[in-house]
Formats: sequence, structure tokens, C-alpha cells
Amino acid sequence: MDHLQQVLQYFRRYLFLVVFIENVVLVTGYWYLSSRTDLNPLLILAGFLGVALLFSWLFMFKASDRLIQPLRALWQAILHLSPGDQQLVPPPDLQKLRVGRELVANLTGQIYQLTSVADRVASNVRQEGSDLRRNFIANNLPLPLFVLDATETIRFANEAAAQYIGIASADLVGKNVYMVLDMSFPNEDTFDVWLKSAKTKNATATKSWERVRLNVRDNHPTRLFDLAGYYNKDNSQKAETMLVLFDHTKQYSQDEQAVSFIALSVHELRTPLTLLRGYIEVFEEELTGKIDPELADFMQKMSATAQQLTAFVNNILNVARVDNDQLELQLQSEDWSIVLTSSIDNLDLRAKVRGITLEHTIAPGLPPVGVDRLSIHEVINNLVDNAIKYSGTSKVIKIDSHLTPDGLVETTVQDSGLGISSSIMPNLFTKFYRDHRNRAQIGGTGLGLYLSNAIVTAHGGHLWVRSKLGEGSTFGFTLLPYSRLADEVKNSDNKEIVRGAHGWIKNHSLYRR
Amino acid sequence: MDPQPTIISPSVPAHRTVLCIEDEHFIGELYARSLSKAGYQVTVIPDGQQALVAAQTDQYDIILLDLMVPNLTGIEILRALRDPVLTPNLKAKIIITTNLEQREDVRQDIQKQADGYVVKAELTPHELVEFVNNIK
Repeated sequence: MDHLQQVLQYFRRYLFLVVFIENVVLVTGYWYLSSRTDLNPLLILAGFLGVALLFSWLFMFKASDRLIQPLRALWQAILHLSPGDQQLVPPPDLQKLRVGRELVANLTGQIYQLTSVADRVASNVRQEGSDLRRNFIANNLPLPLFVLDATETIRFANEAAAQYIGIASADLVGKNVYMVLDMSFPNEDTFDVWLKSAKTKNATATKSWERVRLNVRDNHPTRLFDLAGYYNKDNSQKAETMLVLFDHTKQYSQDEQAVSFIALSVHELRTPLTLLRGYIEVFEEELTGKIDPELADFMQKMSATAQQLTAFVNNILNVARVDNDQLELQLQSEDWSIVLTSSIDNLDLRAKVRGITLEHTIAPGLPPVGVDRLSIHEVINNLVDNAIKYSGTSKVIKIDSHLTPDGLVETTVQDSGLGISSSIMPNLFTKFYRDHRNRAQIGGTGLGLYLSNAIVTAHGGHLWVRSKLGEGSTFGFTLLPYSRLADEVKNSDNKEIVRGAHGWIKNHSLYRR
Repeated sequence: MDPQPTIISPSVPAHRTVLCIEDEHFIGELYARSLSKAGYQVTVIPDGQQALVAAQTDQYDIILLDLMVPNLTGIEILRALRDPVLTPNLKAKIIITTNLEQREDVRQDIQKQADGYVVKAELTPHELVEFVNNIK
């Protein structure tokens, strides 16, 4: 307001001066004219008044113009800043102002400031509703949430995310997601693979993963979780990808601990077994021909028993794997006659010590099958072991392999022993199930068929049984020719196919490092 | 469990050297006995650290590597032996001998780096010799 008073002061000083000069001129002129001429004094007065009016008018016009100039400058400034026709109105030239330049400069500055604030407010108003809602939800979501931009840089991480991985959320923003989240997926179908393909193929995509492991540094406990991903191409908010983590550390690590406990137990069982088998073999080597035939027979039985125990230990381990969804098979193209023959050779001793002969026929020209050698060996092992156990007085077990009409490789193990009553058939493949009538006479755990069924199913095959009480049993299983398996995973350029007990897993590189 | 390899000619080249990294004394003893009988020169070292040094300094033809040995794990030894900087010019074939079941993915990883993988309980010493004979 100082400026305004200054202007008014100017104005008063000028006005006083102008009015003073004007009056002097008028009085002098009136005095001169009325003394010199005999004109009507009224007329002269009227003339002077007219001149005085003209002066005042001219002065007022000039003064008002000067006074209006700053207002015009302000108006120009406002027009210049108002959106729309900025090009048409140039910014005011404050240097041209004669009156109140400082004041106008000040006011214009304030206008500029106001406009920029208004701009920000205006743009915020547009998103305010959704932003507020989004921030509130995201921040208070009790699930770890990450938002990534197109370069996979973290744009936002909520408090739950920061706590979950033990890094402050401010330190997370701006980092590459893979630097922060070092995740291992249970198979090749990883987050980065999905994101890459989503970016090239999709406008939006969603996907979830189970049993993802967070490889944490330092002393942070390992995290196991399910992961959900949402992708939205070219999002104007620069938030292309959203990740939500569902923690299952407790549940999943319990599963893993169960398996690792069993794996450790198996290790402890295997070490003495290795030694037992080793020493038995040394005795066999050194004593063959030197000892009583009866003792030699005992020696063979000891050896067969040790083998059986080894097989059982493997069963335990694999049942734990099946139960925890960790059975993984490496299916490779194999000549079935070679695999089957080598398994049968291995079982020969066990049959022999019980006076049983294994007879096998393998149809010529079988196509190569897709099998995991170790696992399928366990299937044959279990089926033949069962046949030996339940053979009764019958002394021959027939193993037969052939091509079925629909092109599968089928293998049957047939005994002529006790047989199975139809009432218990439906329970045969259940864990720990055993035929109660035989429990007293025949040892076993009831794991063999349960495991065999899981393994055959994981191979894409089918395990079946045909039996009649008193007439013996036939167990059979089918395997897919490798070519069919290969068709099933066309996109896989790996030679190996990894398959889990509960469905396909495309091979391999299971750990991202 | 592993089907026995059916091997025909055990014409073992004389004095192939074997380093057996095995901390279970009796198993080492049994393996040394069978391998020596088959014409191999066998050194058994039960300590991981010492075994790695031995494997890096002396040239062995075959290394039998247990995964659970003291001071260095078998996996660490395997990695060091496969590292061209730590172990340049390793000519030995590495056979993993273990009774420990790995997670499937870990096992595959190990198998990729090794020349052979056996579960000890699955093989008698004689069968192990046959396995070693077959390593080219």
C-alpha cells in the first residue's frame, strides 16, 4: 500500500501544480482582457471557463491514462498467464510504466506465483480422488506390494513390503526389482520369463506362482511365499507391473523340513547299509568255494536282504517327496528293454534266495520311452518285490513288456500266488494299506504301491491290477513313448523333461542365481 | 537302486590313480581295497580341505568325491575343482559318491558338473569298481 500512497502523492503534487498554473493563467488573462476591451464581461468569463474546462479535460485524460497504465499491465499479465491464448497476449512491459511501476511489478509477480500454484492444484484435482484412495489402500495393505515401471525399477513399495524384506521403503524405490528381490522359483517358469513375454505379447497379463523362495542376504530368515503379478502396458502412471506377495514361510518350510529330516535319516541309514553290502561282498568274494553250501546260501540271503533294505530306504524318501509335492522326474528317452533287463537283473538275487525264477519277455521293436531311470526302477522293484512276497508256493514270476493297441508301452508283473480279494482292491494304492489277512505272515509297510502309482502317474502312465483270490495277481503299468512326451512339451528345447508328481514341469535351471 | 551298469571288459589301464575323498573310514577302506585289487593306485583323504589341495597339486585320473566331508563340503570342492582359475588343467574325472539325497534341482546341478554320480548304498564296492572302469 506504500506504493499506492506514493502514487497518490505524485498525483496530488502534480494536480496542485497544474491547478495553480491554470488559475494563474486564467486570472491573468481575465484581468488583461477585461481592462483592455469593452467586451461583455460575461462573455469573457464564459470563454475563460471554457478554456479552463478544456485544460482540465486534457489533464484528466492524461492523468487517467497514466493511472490506468498499471492496471492495464496487470490485466495483460493475467491474460498472458491464463491458459488457452498465451500466444496472443504478450507479457506486459513493465519498463514502460511511468506510474506505480514497482507496485505493478510486485503485483504481477504475485499473479505469476498464484498461477503456478493454481496449475499444480488443478492437475492434482483431476487425480486427487483416485490417488488418495490408491495410496491409502496400497500403504495399508497388509500384503507386501511392489509397483514397477517399464524398466523394472521399483516405483512404489508399501510398508508391508519394506518390513517383509527388511529394507526401508525409501531405500527400495528407484532400485531394480531383481536387485532387491532375489527369487527362486520351483521351476523354469519364473517371474522374469513371464514379464518378458507379457511385455512383448500382452497389453495386460496376470499370473501367480507358488512356493517362491526369497534368497535373502545376511541374517534375514528365508522367506517362502506365493507371488501374484499384474502387468499393464504403457500405463501413464509409470506403474506397469504390480507384485503382491503372500507369505507361506511357516507352512512351506515345515514341508521342507519334513523332507530334509527324512533325507538326513536316509543318509544315516544308508551309510551302515553301504558298509554292510560292502562287507558281505568281501565275504562272498573271499569265501566262495571255501565254505559250506548252506553258509554260502545264507550269505546270498544276507546280500539280498541288504538290497531290499536299501530299496526300502529309497521308498521312504520318495514317499516323503510325493507327499510334499517334491517328486521330480527327469524323463529321458530310453530303450525300455535295456532299462527293464537291468532292473530285473538287479532283482534276480532277491528272487533266487526265495527259490523264485523271474521270467521276462520283451516284445521286439518297442519305441523308446520317456522315463526317469531311477524312479521307474523303483516301480519295477516294488512290483516284483510284492510278487515275490505274495507268491506263496508258486515259483515263477512272469514279466512281460509289449506295445498296447493305442501305442503305449505296457509292462506286466504276474504271479500265481495268493491273489487279492476284490473287496480290498480299491484301497491297494493307498498309503500304508496292507491286506490284513496277510499281515501276520508277510512283512511290508504299504508304501510300495502308493509310491509306484505316484511315479507311474507322474510319467504320464497308468498303474493297474487284475487279481483273483487264490489265483495270483497281475500288476501292469503303461509308459508313454518318448515321442509323445516330446509332443506334449513342444516348446521345450531341452532334451530332458522334468515332471512332478502332480503335473508337468518344464525343464529346468530351477535355481535362478 | 541304480541299475548296475553291465560292463564287459574290465581291462583297466595299469596304475590309474584314484583320489578317494571319504570321511567314513570303513567305506574308504572298502573302496581302497576293491580299487587296488582292480589295479588302481588309491589315496584316501577324509578331510575336505586337505583333499582339495591334494586334488589341485597331484594329478589324479579319478576323484571319488563324497559330498559330506569335514572342513569343506563336497559341493565346495567340486566348485573349486571346476573353476578354471582355482584349478587350471584338471584332468581328473570327478565321480560324486554320496548317500545324501539332494533336492532334485541341486542334484541336477551337481550332476552337470561331475562326470559321474553314484549313491553309495546302491553299489557294492565291486560295482563301484565297474562304474569307475567305465569312466572314460
